[in-house]
Formats: sequence, C-alpha cells, structure tokens
Amino acid sequence: MKIIVCIKQVPGTNEVKMDPTTNTIIRENVASIINPFDTYAIEEAVRIKERYGAEIYGLSMGIPAASEMLREAISLKIDKAMLLTDRKFAGADTLATSYALSRGVEKIGAYDLIICGKQATDGDTAQVGPSLAKTLGIAYATDISKIIELNYGFMRCMKITDDGYEEIEIKLPALITVVKEINMPRLPSIKSMRNAKSAEIEIVTSKDAAADENRTGLKGSPTQVRKTFVPVHDVNSIYISGSTEEQSKKLAEILLGKES
Amino acid sequence: MENNNTFAEMYSEYLRDESRQTGMAESISFPKTEEEIISDLKKCVYKNMEITTQGARTGLAASAVPFGGHIINLSKMNKVTGARYEKESGRFFLKVQPGVLLTEVRKYLTNKSFVTLDWDEQSREALNYMEKNQWFYSTDPTEISASIGGMTACNASGAKSFRYGSTRDHVESLRVVLADGDILSLRRGQCMARDGHFELVTESGRTIKGELPKYKMPHVRKNTSGYYNKPHMDMIDLFIGADGTLGIISEIEIELSKKQAANWGVTVFMPDEDKALDLVRVARGEKVFEDMEALSLKPSAIEFFSHNALEMLKVQQKTNSAFASIQEIKDVYHTAVYIEIENDSDDEIWKGIDCLGTCIEKLGGDEDATWVANNPTSLEKLHSFRHACPECVNMQIDIAKKTDSRITKLGTDMSVPDDKLKEVMKMYNEDIKKNNLHAVIFGHVGNNHLHVNTIPRNMEEYKRGKELYLTWAEKIAAMGGAVSAEHGVGKLKVPFLQKMYSKEELDEMRSLKKLFDHTQLLNRGAVFPFEKGEDI
Amino acid sequence: MANISIIKEKCVGCKKCVGACPFGAIDIKDKKADINEKCTLCGSCADSCKFHAINFVRDEIVQKDLSSYRGIWVFAEQRYGKLKTVSFELFAKARDLSERLEVPVTAVLLGNNIKNLAQELCAYGADEVLVMEAEWLDDFNDHVYGEVMIQLINEYKPEIVLIGATSNGRSLAPHISSTLRTGLTADCTVLEADKGERLLLQTRPAFGGNLMATIVCPNNRPQMATVRPKVFKPLVPDYTKTGKITILPVPSPIESFVKKIRNIDNEEGANLSDADIIVSVGRGIGSEKNIQLAQELADSLGGALGSSRPVVDQGWMPYSQQVGQTGKTVAPKIYIACGISGAIQHLAGLADIETIVAINIDPDAPIFKVANYCIVGDVREILPLLTKEIREAKK
Repeated sequence: MKIIVCIKQVPGTNEVKMDPTTNTIIRENVASIINPFDTYAIEEAVRIKERYGAEIYGLSMGIPAASEMLREAISLKIDKAMLLTDRKFAGADTLATSYALSRGVEKIGAYDLIICGKQATDGDTAQVGPSLAKTLGIAYATDISKIIELNYGFMRCMKITDDGYEEIEIKLPALITVVKEINMPRLPSIKSMRNAKSAEIEIVTSKDAAADENRTGLKGSPTQVRKTFVPVHDVNSIYISGSTEEQSKKLAEILLGKES
Repeated sequence: MENNNTFAEMYSEYLRDESRQTGMAESISFPKTEEEIISDLKKCVYKNMEITTQGARTGLAASAVPFGGHIINLSKMNKVTGARYEKESGRFFLKVQPGVLLTEVRKYLTNKSFVTLDWDEQSREALNYMEKNQWFYSTDPTEISASIGGMTACNASGAKSFRYGSTRDHVESLRVVLADGDILSLRRGQCMARDGHFELVTESGRTIKGELPKYKMPHVRKNTSGYYNKPHMDMIDLFIGADGTLGIISEIEIELSKKQAANWGVTVFMPDEDKALDLVRVARGEKVFEDMEALSLKPSAIEFFSHNALEMLKVQQKTNSAFASIQEIKDVYHTAVYIEIENDSDDEIWKGIDCLGTCIEKLGGDEDATWVANNPTSLEKLHSFRHACPECVNMQIDIAKKTDSRITKLGTDMSVPDDKLKEVMKMYNEDIKKNNLHAVIFGHVGNNHLHVNTIPRNMEEYKRGKELYLTWAEKIAAMGGAVSAEHGVGKLKVPFLQKMYSKEELDEMRSLKKLFDHTQLLNRGAVFPFEKGEDI
Repeated sequence: MANISIIKEKCVGCKKCVGACPFGAIDIKDKKADINEKCTLCGSCADSCKFHAINFVRDEIVQKDLSSYRGIWVFAEQRYGKLKTVSFELFAKARDLSERLEVPVTAVLLGNNIKNLAQELCAYGADEVLVMEAEWLDDFNDHVYGEVMIQLINEYKPEIVLIGATSNGRSLAPHISSTLRTGLTADCTVLEADKGERLLLQTRPAFGGNLMATIVCPNNRPQMATVRPKVFKPLVPDYTKTGKITILPVPSPIESFVKKIRNIDNEEGANLSDADIIVSVGRGIGSEKNIQLAQELADSLGGALGSSRPVVDQGWMPYSQQVGQTGKTVAPKIYIACGISGAIQHLAGLADIETIVAINIDPDAPIFKVANYCIVGDVREILPLLTKEIREAKK
C-alpha cells in the first residue's frame, strides 16, 4: 500500500518575545523542527510499513529550506519526500494550503492512506487535515489514537473525543489525523541518518503540480490577517508574605472568603 | 543556635541525606556569612561539640548525616558573589557561596540573570563579556539540586566527567574556615607542596607546616577515596574531596566552560556485553581491532546499561505510566552504550558518528540498532532514558522497603584502571550469579566507573548484597582501583576505604586531619573511623 | 499575484518592520530592509512602516455580491439529546453580533427526537431554530452532519456560522468550510462585528498565545468560526422567550465512509470545564506522588484537579486534566496554580477567571503577572498546610 504523510516545518519554539517599549517582536534565531504532532504521523506510517509493508511518501509545503526537514523525516524511516515550494504558495491560509497539498497528493497518486498530525504547533487550527480530505473528496477521521486493524479497503481505529473514545471503521482511501497517544516516535539510527543524507527530495513548483493559481497562496485564501497585537495581562497582584504557616493561613482565609 | 526538646521532630529532615541514613543531633544553625560560620564554630569548639556541615543533603555517602553534636547548614549561604573574566586566556570564573545549588547556577548562566546588587565593580564589568547561555559549569552530577559546596566537599563528578573531569578540575580558589576559626584562602597554583612537605599561611598569619602521607592514589580516571595526595600537589586539592573533615568551605571560585554549538547523543544497542565493552574501548580511542580507523570524535560521556538494566526499564515502561514516555526497547536489544559528543559543528560530529557506525558493524553490532539525538529535544529523551535507571532502582528499593524498613539502596561507586574493565565486569557478573542476587549495572563506563545496584527482595538478600560489596571493595583495591569514584567516602563507605588503604595509611590521613582540626570535631567519623588521639 | 516589496528609496533602515514581522522574514541588508523567503504575505510589516516604504499589493479580487447572505447561525451540538454547554455560550455572543448587524440568530439543531430542545435554545438566545430530525442523524458523523449543513447553508445563506470547538465541532467545521470554499477561523477568543463592511472580526491566539491575530473573511460567505468551550459566558436563560421553530423536511439519508462501531464514554467524573474551583499542578510539584497533596487541597475545597502540560507529558496526570492551549480552556471562579510557571500556552487555557492564586518557588515565574494572589514558596510545603487550614476552618 501507499501512505502519504503530511509534514509541516514549524519554529522550534513558540516563544515570541516582545519588546515592551516598542511593542515589536524580538525574534531570536529559533531552529525549525518537524511539527511535533507530525512525528506521530510519521511513526504510525512506519509502524504500518513494518507490519503490513508499505511505501511512505512525506509531503510538505514550505520554503526551500524545508527540504532539510524532509530529509530529517527520511531519517525517521519514510521512503520518499516531496516539497511543494513556490512563491505562489506563500500567504496560504488553511484552505489554500489544503488545496496545494491536494495537488501534491495527486502528483504522488494512487494512495491508500494519508496521515496528518492532529494540528501544527504554530497555528493550532487542526483544519488542514479535514480540509485536505474534502478537497480530495475522500473520507477522513480526526484525533485517531489507535489503529486496530488495517485491510485493503478499510481500517478500524479508535478516535479520542471530548466524551471518551469511539471505535470507528473507515473506508480507504482515507485521511486520518493522529494524536500523540497513538505511539512513541522513534529516534533516527545511524543507518537511517546515513540514508537520509543521500536521499533526494523532489521539489515541486506550482506549475509542476498543475495548481490553479486562483486557489493557492494569498489569492486562494479566503481569510486575511487584519492585524496582530500582543495580549496584555493587567492584573493587580497581591503578594502574601510571611512564614509558610502564615502564608497558608492567610491564603486559606482568602479562599474561604471567596468561596462563600 | 536553635536548641529545644523537639529538635528531632522540628528538624528531622536535617538528620538525613540522599543516602537515606538517619542520624541525630542536638542543635542546628544556618549561618548567612563567613563571620557567622566562625562564630558558630567557636561556640561548638568551646562546648566540645562535634560539627556536621551540610549543603543540600543530596550526597549518597551520608557525609551530611550527623551523629550527635551540632549541624552547620549552609543552605542560607546561597549567593553568587562575583565574576571574573581573564581576557588573555578567555577564562571565566564565578565566585559562589557554598550553599548555591547547581540548578541555580545553571539557571543564572542560561538566562544571565545574576543578582549583582552586592557585586564589586570588577565583577559587574566581567559580566559584560558574558553572553547569555554560552557558558556552563561542566560538573554534572545526576542530582542537580546539589550545592556547589557539597560538590566541592566530595569532589563530585557526573556523566560528562569523561571529558571535563570532576569538580577538582574546575575549582580555582577556596576559602576554608578551620576549626579554630582561622581562615585559609587558597588559590590554585599558589600553594604547592614540595617533596611531600607543605606550608600554609592562614589569614591571621599563622603558618601551618606539615608532611603529606606516603600512600599512592590509584591510577584510575575517577577517584574520591580518601584525601588527595601527591608529593608535589597543589594544596587546594587536599581540601577538595575531604568530605568536610578539614574545615568548612565558605567560598568557592569555579571555572566555567564555553558551550559548544553542537551536542549529540547516541545510544547503541550491542548484541552482547562483551561487544558492548569493546565499543566502549573504541569510543574512548583504544585500537580494538586491526585496520580500525581512529575515531575522530571525543565523547564527553560514555555510559553503560547492562542487559538486566534494559530488561528492568522494559518492564517499567509497559507497566508504569511514569516511564511510559521513554523510548521503546526492542526485544533484540541486549546491552547498551550511550555516547555523548560536543563539538563546534554538526558536520564534524556526524563524521565521527558515521565512523562509529562502521565500527559497530565491525564489532558485530547493527548500526540500525541505535538512537541518534541531534537536537536538544531528542537529547533530552536519551537523558531521561539514562535517568530512568536510578529512578527505577529507587522505586524497587521502596517496594523492598515495605518488607523490611532497614533495606536501603545498595549501589556501588567503584572505579578501576582502563585495562581492568572487562575483568571487573566479569567479577560483578559472576559474583551476582553465585550469590543468587538480582542486580542491574549502569553508569560511567568511559571512566570504568559503574554503579552496580543490587535489588534485594528481602532482608536476607540485602545482607548478602552488603557483604558482597565489601568483598568487591577488597578485590577492586587489589586491581588498583578506587572504592569510591564520585560519591565520596562519607560515613557510609568507611569500611570500604579500610579495604583500600592499610591501617598505617589511614593513620596518616588522620594525622593530617588533626593538623587542621586537632580535636577532630569536624565531620567526625567521615573518611576514616574516629579514634581518640593522645593529645586530647 | 500578490506581492510585497521594499521601496528602497523610502526605506531608512529603521528596523521597525523587522520587529513587526512574526515570521522573521525581514533582514537588514545594506541598511535597507530585505524580505526573505520566509514571508507569508501577512502584511504586518506594511502596517508598521512609518515611511510607506513597503508596498503590499493584494490580488485584485472580483468583488462578489455577498448581499444575499444574511443572519447568524449557531450549530447547536447535542449528544444523547442533551445540548453541549458551548452552544449556549455561542448564543450569548451571537446575540451581541446580531444586535450590531441587525439580523436574527438562528440555531441549527440536528439529531433524532430532539425537537424538544428547540425551546431551550430560544431561552438561551436563538430567534429561530431550524430542526431536522431523522433516525440516520441520531449519532454525530462529520460527513453526514457536514453534508446536511452544506445543503442548509446553500439554501438559507447565513453570513456567519459559529460552531463550538468541541472534538466534533473541530472536525465538522473544516468539512463545511472547505466544501463551500470559504474561510474558517479556529478557536476564536474575541468575536466582533463591523457593520459597515458586514465583517466578522475574529481574534485568535497565534504562536501559542504570544500574539493575537484578528482575522477577516472579506470575499466569501459564510464567515465561519469555531470557539472553544468556556471562552464566552452564556446568558441567563429566559424561558418566557419564544422563537420561530421550523421543522425541516428530511432529505434522503446520506451515506458515510466512516462508520461508528461503538462509543466508549469516559466515566462521569468531576469535569474540569465545569468546576468552580480548580487546583492545578505544574512541574514544581516535583514528583508524581506529590500530586496527592494537590488532590487533597482540591478535595477540601470541593474542586477539581487540573495540570499543566509538562505534568501530563511526564505521565503523572491524564490528558483530560490538561489546561492550556493544547488542553482544555477552563473558567472556574478560583484557579490555584501550584508550581506552574505560567507559560503563555498555559495562560491561553485560562478564560474568564475571577481569582487566580499562584504558588511558585521562582519569584520571576510569569504566572505571578496574571495572578491576583501570589505566594513565593515551595508548593510542597504550602499545600499540606493550606489543606489543613481549610479543613479546620470547614469543621
């Protein structure tokens, strides 16, 4: 079977420090990493491969430098990787991203399963997975915590919900998004890192992917950022001092006062 | 000083340390300055009270556990009091009080968040040369809440001591309050012994003349067994690792190391223990087989996990949620070696790792049976895998404790010379088997320094394990090894040191102590047994 | 194609744009700003430049006639015939918006044997309720519910659709928006309306809450947003209020490629989101067994136990108790943060809380900036003492 894993490059940390006087962003050089949720997607694909046999494609949309991130994904034992990169893709919201990814998927072709991380840590929208499935016109299920059974034609899995779990059956081809409960991602081995060093990353432009320019990048994005600002926390803090006994006593009085 | 009837109740935590031994005391004080240490000391000497000095009580050899008398707890002397930068050599130093915790020093260095209110001009200026998160203190004991004073007193080291050495290698100067309240101010390179003779001048102008012992220290990479001793030694080294028996350290100047840009770790699983030990030899630069290319990497740490240690982790991982997040150990994995490497460039490290992979294959291993960490997040995973070993052991000891409360942790801390590594492993394995005990072995194999942890299931096994350790101390001393490599002798391992040094040699140590503390009040019973001297 | 460029003649190299760019996409080269490949065309820099040296050109978009879209919809999520509380919270916000835009609020209620819930929806603020009842709508299914919603949206043309960011809502919303090729903004924390442009101003946290972004969807309808539970406060229900309840005709059943085999529900425990008092533990608690200290305090106060992400990552607490950006949003009356440093991601999970108490050993911990009452100290010492005080006082 053929599995496609969607992988996003995200900043290694969300720590965006603000200069309080000028209200601007102080960006220290933060290394980019594979979106942590996508590492579970990669691992699950590799586990399927080890159990049932499969060919795994990593697919990403991003700046040219993201090819190094895909190389890292290869060191985690996916087989091949494709990077969609083009200025025409820039400024994409979740809908335009999903469309671009769908073009990459079509270019890879004849897949059985697409696995995405539940969400990306930089945007936290959890929208691209479902949107990609709808763009491709295939079934999807979000927040998968376990694959119980995988067969030609369907898979059975567990899905985490607010109320507990659901056991579901999905007809393939399909897309799933996975949560971190699903597995423990492995680290690369010396051997897999060596493989990754020499691996080729397929670079695909908007034209290569035969993408409709009206549906990619800023142009294809129905949503626009109107402004960004720094949240302010304006609280009058009261410090409770004294020995630990005194502090505890004072706090207990405050809490009991509030409660009643 | 605080003294009352319910002392044991109010200060019970100060009667223990991480060795899980409990002692007793009559009073405790928490000096905030050197003057207060002196005044507390004088009061004790006047009343002829024994004195136990405490830092953060994270030691494993019961050095900080009092057995009567007074406790001087230095946890309130917890300030970094200055910095120094030598422009020519590019060396950076911090001046600290003994109660500062290692975690605090690390935090200050990462964020460059020193409280400089009381610093002198020179120190503040030095700070201008410090970039945030570029310097670190290289001694890295597992217990990061250790105090710098405690680490100095026991000459602590850690995984990275393979490359960076122990505390001793990074202490530039010391202030030591002697039993009579006088002070020794020692700076490295300025008070050298000659042919076994030394002369030290105290701050009050008194000259202390003495003779160094005749015993020779073992030729091992790591040693904290008894007083440091070499005919031409730097006298500052006598006070480092002396377990608080010669004086009370009131100020330490430590040297910092520059952080390197790249830091990788790799855990290698070998098909059997012998092959794993060969890999250790490869990693530290020995030529193990012909046509072997010299390994171009210089590890900062080389660690070991015995088969039983891996099996223990495997079970815990499946059954205990606290260990669920450690990496998955495959059934084919037998014995593991962990290697950590620092360098200025990732490419350089990769070259070394690439070469290591070839060696692994040549030794009969599988370079796919490795975990490589090339960023801080994955490195943290390998670290927590390493730390899971002692945590698991502690947990199992706690379970055994329920059968008998006298059961405590049984871990060794002995090191041998390089060429005895395989021999000592063979000894451990055979003796454990012969005594029908269950044990896991892990630790700093690069320095031939392994922690053998017996996991007793009942009191009988505990006793057998304890006896076994004493025979090991004897055999290891015979191999030219050290009975304590990093925890210090403290009060717990005095019987071990007696296997390593003769009665006469221990008497030499005692004479040295009496020269600085003639009534033997300071940390009495640590390093060697207390014997009443004729001059009392 | 959209483009952004620096007008070199106007640029003075003041670096203001460098600080304004959330993506680190501007460097200074030869004392002039230079936009690199990391640019996402968000336009933040253009707004920040005082010298009008950044030329940001959006694509010409053929203005569609959007005037046929009117009204605000709220997807009323129910399970086993019980409405999710987030629906009530959404009605309160929808009412706000409706007054500004002068349009009615419509609830869409799908399920089986659920029409009795319609009255309740009116009490909470709906002017109209569209009800569709069918056996095949009994259990929530992204595809089935999504397709029904799409049909209804195409027929009724609402200008705004709000959906609760429950696990079902987060899966349903992108199904609808991507099929309709319209905008969707996840996890909004502020919703406002611009009457002139008839725009929904959707503010959500970005970069883990370090930055807030206001997002609009100018050329597509409906404007869709999801909101996490507890972000808004529901109105006090007015059961005398009536609304127009429409029972919709049932289309032929929709097939789904995803079939539910069974639900495995969590046992009903103290639900974090509904608790009035939450005692929450962070890394400062030190060890798994110390969590008991916090549990005892929570019990003494009749509250629930929460936690920060590191504690869940350690495996000391289940994910269901995690508060924050990647966990739950909570809005208790009292939140007691024990040994929680207060990373912005954690603060993102604290909605409207009357009193925040912080106990932390690190005086510089960011949690103190948002706390009403602060204790600098070791939680492990303070918790048992505090529990004792509370228990004694309650005796």
